[in-house]
Amino acid sequence: MNAGHVWLVVVQEFRIRLRTGRWRVLLGVWVGVLALFTFLVDSALHAGYSSGSDDGLRGVPLFGALMYFVLASMLVISPALTAQSVNGDRERGTLATLQVTRLRPGEIAVGKLLAGWSVGLVALLLSTPFAGYAVARGGLPLARIPVVYAVVALLIGSVCAISQALSALLTRTITSALLSYVVTAALTVGTVIAYGLGVALAVGQRPQPSEGTVWWLLAPNPFVILADSAPRVPPQLNRQGNVVYVDDYDPLSSVSRQLRELRMPSRYFDGSGRALPSTAPERPLWPYGLGFLVLVGGASLVVTSVRLRTPSDQLAPGVRVA
Amino acid sequence: MQPPTVIPESAGTGILVEDVTRWFGEVQALSGMSFTAPYGQVTALVGPNGAGKTTVLLVLASLLSPDRGRVLVAGVDPAVDARAVRSRVGWMPDAFGVYEQLTAREYLRFFARAYDLPRDVVAARVPQLLAMVHLTEFADRPVHVLSRGQKQRLALTRALVHEPRVVLLDEPAAGLDPRSRVELRDILRAQAAQGVAVLVSSHILSELEEVADRVVFVDGGATVGEQTMAELHAAAASAYRVRAADQSRLTDVLREKEIPYSTVGGAVELPAMTEQDAARTLELLVTAGAGVVAFDRVRGDLESAYLSMTEDRG
Repeated sequence: MNAGHVWLVVVQEFRIRLRTGRWRVLLGVWVGVLALFTFLVDSALHAGYSSGSDDGLRGVPLFGALMYFVLASMLVISPALTAQSVNGDRERGTLATLQVTRLRPGEIAVGKLLAGWSVGLVALLLSTPFAGYAVARGGLPLARIPVVYAVVALLIGSVCAISQALSALLTRTITSALLSYVVTAALTVGTVIAYGLGVALAVGQRPQPSEGTVWWLLAPNPFVILADSAPRVPPQLNRQGNVVYVDDYDPLSSVSRQLRELRMPSRYFDGSGRALPSTAPERPLWPYGLGFLVLVGGASLVVTSVRLRTPSDQLAPGVRVA
Repeated sequence: MQPPTVIPESAGTGILVEDVTRWFGEVQALSGMSFTAPYGQVTALVGPNGAGKTTVLLVLASLLSPDRGRVLVAGVDPAVDARAVRSRVGWMPDAFGVYEQLTAREYLRFFARAYDLPRDVVAARVPQLLAMVHLTEFADRPVHVLSRGQKQRLALTRALVHEPRVVLLDEPAAGLDPRSRVELRDILRAQAAQGVAVLVSSHILSELEEVADRVVFVDGGATVGEQTMAELHAAAASAYRVRAADQSRLTDVLREKEIPYSTVGGAVELPAMTEQDAARTLELLVTAGAGVVAFDRVRGDLESAYLSMTEDRG
């Protein structure tokens, strides 16, 4: 693996991408949508905190909602970034000329992945001003921001890598694009359905019926990973000097709390559904999910580079026989 | 059991194809094809559609592995060290894509870098290659404005960008205008003169006849003939077309000397004969005062040989 070769491929791919689409328009629309979303959520939260006492802490739920929206959007965008990067080149007849150069298959695979991934990262970075706005709304521990962004970046990368492997495995670009979206849907909706079915089956099991035994079905869900990996928001004091749990409206905190309770021994809950303090340690599940996706992403990269290896036993699709 | 093939001295052989067989599912594209292409010469690869020309070029370009047999390209087996082969071989496929969004200069520069050429060499070589194929004025324009023939010429420079020792060209003349074809011929001759082994497949036999030193005939995935153009010319029996200032005077002489002839479209044609016989006949006609102004083969020797080798097709 030669860094110069990888960089050459990245620059080449990036250049081609930049000149193909209407990137400025698309990114402009993206920023506009983010601005609108931030404004609406902020207004809704302001109205929701009618007492006004906790209003100065609404940055936490605002940031959580924003990042869930960004993740959902990125999961729609990411497969499109790489789902045609290998078979598309084959269709256009530019892959073979690349394979006969001194670029190694791994360098081509990594370069193409980095190019697609970095387009996703640019879109992600464009959301940072709005995260900054959330900080200004108050209550947000700064440590949350880099962790949440890093996790979203890794999730984008994994989805890009999986989509790219599909483009290397399948001949037709339409098939690989479709299958990439099926994979994303399986990770997001599929895991929830599987969990629901798993619970139904597990409840019937003896001797110890528990929803907690199938928690791992939810682990690869990107929304679960993002929520659970976000650092805790400690209880804070509001203007009246009362202790408030600022994460009540925060999607990240509430999803994570509910997930971890799945893996807790049975406990008592207070009226609001919050678990009473327990001596059992909380067990995060995001390391499993994120680890799983990063491993699958890495394996996908290997698959791509194996498929790019020549001389090959198979005929590159699109090349006619004899 | 086949007798072991004697491997020619590698110094003289740019390309060695040895009993190469390749299946695609049920279709056998190559069935024991063997030939050589020496350095410093242009070797023509000739055969009907589906004869295996493109497939054997893919094998030589290190993209496809043979099921059986082996190839040596510039002395290296792609199955053993594909990257060493890639540094030494330039390949221009018959169907290819170019990065439409790049300029011609960016396109060529990218490939020069992908072949590990140092930056200063790239800077010197790219304009030189663009000038060679008369694309200098398009250097900074996007590739998608180029015509098909211009793209073809750009693809040729890509195949030559790293100064390969072996050049493989699959139907390079397709889509080229007459002037570009002449220039392509000059480029290939210049490559051979620099000691490069050039292997070129084409259906335009008249072009090949003027550029090739040797010819390899293939059919059904195997080699059916391999000879130098000199041997081909000497052995080929060709019909000759004769024109005279006074056509009736010519036919009188032919009848008088009892030379069989036919008239085709106003011209006189003599039946197929070897070069020696043709020389004797011409001498006879000239000394008899037939007023000959033109005496030439009806079709090229390559075309005649090709037609005779493929005439038994079903």
